[in-house]
Amino acid sequence: MINFEEELKKFHPSLEVEDAEEAIYNQDLTDMADLLVKMIKESEEKPKQQ
Amino acid sequence: MFCYNCGCHLSEHDFCTACGADVSLYKRIMHVSNMFYNDGLEKAGVRDLSGAINSLRQSLKFNKNNIEARNLLGLVYFEMGEVVAALSEWVISKNMRPEKNIADDYIGMVQSNASRLDAINQTIKKYNQALVYCTQDSKDLAVIQLKKVLSLNPRFVRAHQLLALLYMDSEQWERAQRELNKCINIDCNNTQTLRYLREVELMLVPDENVKQPGRYKKDETVRYQSDNEIIIQPVNVREGKSSGVSTLINIGIGLVIGLAAMYFLAVPAAESAAKNEAQKSITEIGNQLDAKTATIKELETQISNLQAQNDNLNRELDGYVGADGTLSIIDSLLTAATAYLETEDVQQTAVNLENIAKSITIEETSEAFQKLYQTLLSTIGPELSQSYYAAGSEAYSSDDYAAAIENFQRAVYYDAANGDALYNLARTYRKSGDNEKAIETYDKVLELFPDTEWARKAGRDRTALAGESN
Repeated sequence: MINFEEELKKFHPSLEVEDAEEAIYNQDLTDMADLLVKMIKESEEKPKQQ
Repeated sequence: MFCYNCGCHLSEHDFCTACGADVSLYKRIMHVSNMFYNDGLEKAGVRDLSGAINSLRQSLKFNKNNIEARNLLGLVYFEMGEVVAALSEWVISKNMRPEKNIADDYIGMVQSNASRLDAINQTIKKYNQALVYCTQDSKDLAVIQLKKVLSLNPRFVRAHQLLALLYMDSEQWERAQRELNKCINIDCNNTQTLRYLREVELMLVPDENVKQPGRYKKDETVRYQSDNEIIIQPVNVREGKSSGVSTLINIGIGLVIGLAAMYFLAVPAAESAAKNEAQKSITEIGNQLDAKTATIKELETQISNLQAQNDNLNRELDGYVGADGTLSIIDSLLTAATAYLETEDVQQTAVNLENIAKSITIEETSEAFQKLYQTLLSTIGPELSQSYYAAGSEAYSSDDYAAAIENFQRAVYYDAANGDALYNLARTYRKSGDNEKAIETYDKVLELFPDTEWARKAGRDRTALAGESN
């Protein structure tokens, strides 16, 4: 049995055109490739520090 | 594929041929990203847009630079009515690859039409407003807003879903089903849509095992509300196998009932309508008859008046017309003229003319009549005037002033240029004691005969008379 109030919580306001720019800037674009590169660089830097 | 370390093009080896960096893991990540992109592409091809979005997002989580995946994600968003999300993806894509990027075309397509962009923004605002109405429990207003949204952007899946949810809440199951079917047509595998649809189908086709308290009063009926009407749909009612005879009997009964209904309902109604029509016609004819009768009476009155006028005129005409049909007065004038020409009897002619003048008004007669009358009068006038003047003088000498006045008046009448007659008329008036008329006549003498002996005498006498009166 569907609960209207609960279902309504799943609907969120849609972004307006004016807010698109802000949304684009705030988007987290970090991907797995970035994480990998970061990890590799960190692993390379650790032996140098030691 | 390029090396993350130096940016050189990678070969089939697990290391970069330029900088020697280990790229095996990096290559695997790229492959996973491409795999998700392929999956998303496949799902988008069969309109599983929700699935496509998930796959493409996964693809971008592995490789944010997967431009094809990002563009496709924008396209899928656009198809689902999420225009701002689509634009965001395309803008990011364009920033990552400014040249030879199809996202450029997509953005241009949306932005080139300002009115369309404005309409899109309006739909988003209305959708957000509808959400606010829902939270404020103004569900009717929310439904109206969502209908407006969907009229502007019919592919907005979230709006369809919210509208369906509102319909479900108000137990308008058929409408909800219709909205959800529209969602399915756009995005065939949306979990939320499918969940709602299942609920709606449960309500529309109830399972005997699943009891819905408060919704089904009896096992043999399905009761649900559509708009303002409660639909009661019988279930498990099977039509019995009827034989041909029973079918014929049923048809016959139906015909009999139909005919009876026609006889008892339609025929009296038709008769009543015909009677009303006839009554209207009779009333109309009666009105016309009354109007015509009134007209006839009026015309009869006019005829009687005209007849009376005609009779009067005829009587008047008879007075003028003689026995032989000619006007008697003309006859009299002709007779007078003829008598004068034959006998030259001035006295008789004068009598005849006086008779004519007494019987009619000369000025009202025809021009020819007046001309003949005046000619006759002027012909006999001077001689007649002299005759009356002589008679007047004789009467004056014998102190018969009344006769003298009458004769002098006739002498003046028949010849206005007879100054003697006019002067002696004034004298006679003076002698008879009628000073007023005497002065009046003296004035006429002074006016008509100035610079004459009569005027001089008249002036003298008038002055003397005026002195006597004072």
